[in-house]
Amino acid sequence: MSTLPSTRVYEGTRIPSPVPTILEVDPEKHRLEDILRVNFGPNHPSTHGVLRLVVDLDGETVAGIRAVIGYLHTGFEKNMEHKSWWKSVTYAPRMDYVAFHANELLYVLAIEKLLGIEVPPRAVWARMAMAELNRIHSHLVWLGTSALELGAISLFWYCFDDRDAILDLFEMAGGTRMHTRYVQVGGIAEDLPPGFVAEARKFCAQMPKSVDEYEAILDRNAIWLERTKGVGLLSADDALALAQSGPMLRSTGVDWDLRRNTPYLAYDEVEFDVPVYGGGDVYDRYRVHMDEMRESVRIIDQCLDKLETTEGMPWIADDRKVVLPPRHELHTSMESLIHHFKIVTEGFTVPEGEVYVAIESPRGEAGCYLVSDGGARPWRVKFRAPSFAALQATATIVQGLLVADLIAAGGSLDPVMGDADR
Amino acid sequence: MAEGSAQLALKRELPVLVSDRPLAKAGLQSERVLMPDQGPGVFEREVQEIEDALLLTTVEKAVAWAQTHAMWPDTFGLACCAIEMMSVVSSRYDIARFGMERFSSSPRQADLLIVSGRVTHKMAAPLRQVYDQMLEPKWVIAMGACASSGGMFNNYTILQGVDKIVPVDIHVPGCPPRPEALMEGIIRLHEKIRGGVPPAYSIRGVAE
Amino acid sequence: MSDYAGVPGVVETRESFGEVTLVVDPARLIEACTVLRDDHGFNFLADIAPADYLGWGEGPVAGYIGTAGGRDLNDPGSRGLARVPDPKPKRFSISYHLLRVSDDPARVRVQIWLEDGEPVASVLPVWPAADWFEREAFDMFGFRFEGHDNLVRILMPEDWEGHPLRKDYPLGGEPVRFSDED
Repeated sequence: MSTLPSTRVYEGTRIPSPVPTILEVDPEKHRLEDILRVNFGPNHPSTHGVLRLVVDLDGETVAGIRAVIGYLHTGFEKNMEHKSWWKSVTYAPRMDYVAFHANELLYVLAIEKLLGIEVPPRAVWARMAMAELNRIHSHLVWLGTSALELGAISLFWYCFDDRDAILDLFEMAGGTRMHTRYVQVGGIAEDLPPGFVAEARKFCAQMPKSVDEYEAILDRNAIWLERTKGVGLLSADDALALAQSGPMLRSTGVDWDLRRNTPYLAYDEVEFDVPVYGGGDVYDRYRVHMDEMRESVRIIDQCLDKLETTEGMPWIADDRKVVLPPRHELHTSMESLIHHFKIVTEGFTVPEGEVYVAIESPRGEAGCYLVSDGGARPWRVKFRAPSFAALQATATIVQGLLVADLIAAGGSLDPVMGDADR
Repeated sequence: MAEGSAQLALKRELPVLVSDRPLAKAGLQSERVLMPDQGPGVFEREVQEIEDALLLTTVEKAVAWAQTHAMWPDTFGLACCAIEMMSVVSSRYDIARFGMERFSSSPRQADLLIVSGRVTHKMAAPLRQVYDQMLEPKWVIAMGACASSGGMFNNYTILQGVDKIVPVDIHVPGCPPRPEALMEGIIRLHEKIRGGVPPAYSIRGVAE
Repeated sequence: MSDYAGVPGVVETRESFGEVTLVVDPARLIEACTVLRDDHGFNFLADIAPADYLGWGEGPVAGYIGTAGGRDLNDPGSRGLARVPDPKPKRFSISYHLLRVSDDPARVRVQIWLEDGEPVASVLPVWPAADWFEREAFDMFGFRFEGHDNLVRILMPEDWEGHPLRKDYPLGGEPVRFSDED
């Protein structure tokens, strides 16, 4: 389980200098009169959101590139400073809108770390199951859209059909398909409904077969292999230097997964493998994504087992200073009424301090730096967005690629612009 | 429906052959009005046969039928609503039933701009540029709370409603709207068009 | 905590919530970061997180009207939270969250404190990943990182004036009737 890189896909470093994120045209390799500057504008069919790439082309070869982001900068961090702790949780899932549960979980874990509140086991297992379902969801969206961009159009419909099954599970538990706001400070908002475990097991039985289908379409497909093997190379040293994490890092041979190396929730109590491939190209990132989907199904199965054994146990912490009391108590208990009033009007308060919490979102290390002043509102929330870091690697991985490969490489970075821009 | 069609202007009140057939509704009356006691004659029977064989309509209705049955949306997915817009394309909700599965990346070939997601001030200029590049007739659906009114983001960077820069035909609420909600919005747009309501740019400008 | 004794420029070491924070003198930031990267193995710059503490401790705290001079608000009933927080040394802090990607993982936070307008060195020579993080810090707060060759706005439009995440920058947006949110 060595995390030190063992394969080197290229010698030395390919990180451009002086600015790591801007690839300048090399006058020795290209005649400057041949360069055509093309704008892959913020609105383009490659459905990774509003990313703008300013590309210098020498014929079909990418000679220079610079990524421009900020077209979806929503001011999450400033908005959250003005809302109470309860309300600010609603903002979090809308950042990385494909892995929404991961963002909610991240933010609530940070609040709970400051509060020092203990989350009951049933809630932990439910959160883990949702997080892994979300991972599969995110990978399906990635696969569907990336394959669509490379021409495997039918895969889009297959992946989104499976995705609808996951969204049905989210809807069953959280009431809505996306942005469920199911994670609550202290546990989960409501207990899992009665049929959830059975439906989830059906999904887990079906999903590996779907992954097999996708691999059957793509794995030995000559066009897919041509377009993804050897494209978008990134070595392990460069990946670490550029703060890559998640599938980007695991495709370069570095065995690093926050769920296993620095476990959170109950990931140290479940068995799963971490797929690592050493080729550093788009094909290996694809393989990492596919294997991760299978591993997530394994984890969900184990979480469902634990959810069955914790049936009927509390799903949210008992701390009435933070968690709303059950409604039936409001009729009989004066303290519950007061707690309810204080939490609903002013909101709970979080002790003063600063924490940094990081989880393994489907895109990599998602982090939240939270500063509280002891009051009812966050003082400072800073999200470490994995897509933001991933896009920094654009200038490194596109060197020497053709325009069509640029689409493949850009897709393999798995950027979600809501996450990158916040 | 076509009130401008010619009607026989008779000086005296005569009973009119009551017919609910399209040509009669369009104003065609036969000379049998002069012989009210007799039933339909050869001419009327021949006209009815022709009506049964052909589909009669007005040019406006025919054009509206064509526009609504193959309205190509533009790929303008910005944020979370874009994922639900992609869901509408997926097989469960299947926007292809309405002839709309061909999302046109080029605004020149698009009829419908579904603004799905929050629009920042930085993105407002490209949005307006894409809208301007679309050829008339064009419609805009503001999908979701952020496109309709700024949503939950009332701050320095988000445009409070995309109707500040483009005229909007249909607002679809939700955060994000379910795919069925978006389809309802699209179907209402189709009904508006078939009902003869002109696109938004001809009846209103942009909001304040 | 004694692991970091060899790091140059450390002014203070704090440990809270299971995390280690090394407060470093801004003038020796690059030295400290280089030692952490080379000797302690922190090869991964996870995040650069600035924070603005203008108005810290002045607002009402925990629902009680707290004053900066400080009544003793350590009453039980609010988990001991009804207390005006300690003042911060300077207005801005920049926290560098570092991670050691290896078989012995560890996280550490390097924190520097500065006033408005004080220069701060760019850690780009140490970790190339700092590029966009520092651009974002410049865009949102106005720090001028010395040694960063491409310090332009990244999230806001390039001609935007003002630095949005500062506490004296208004939230903006439109006024909403009957809403008492600020």
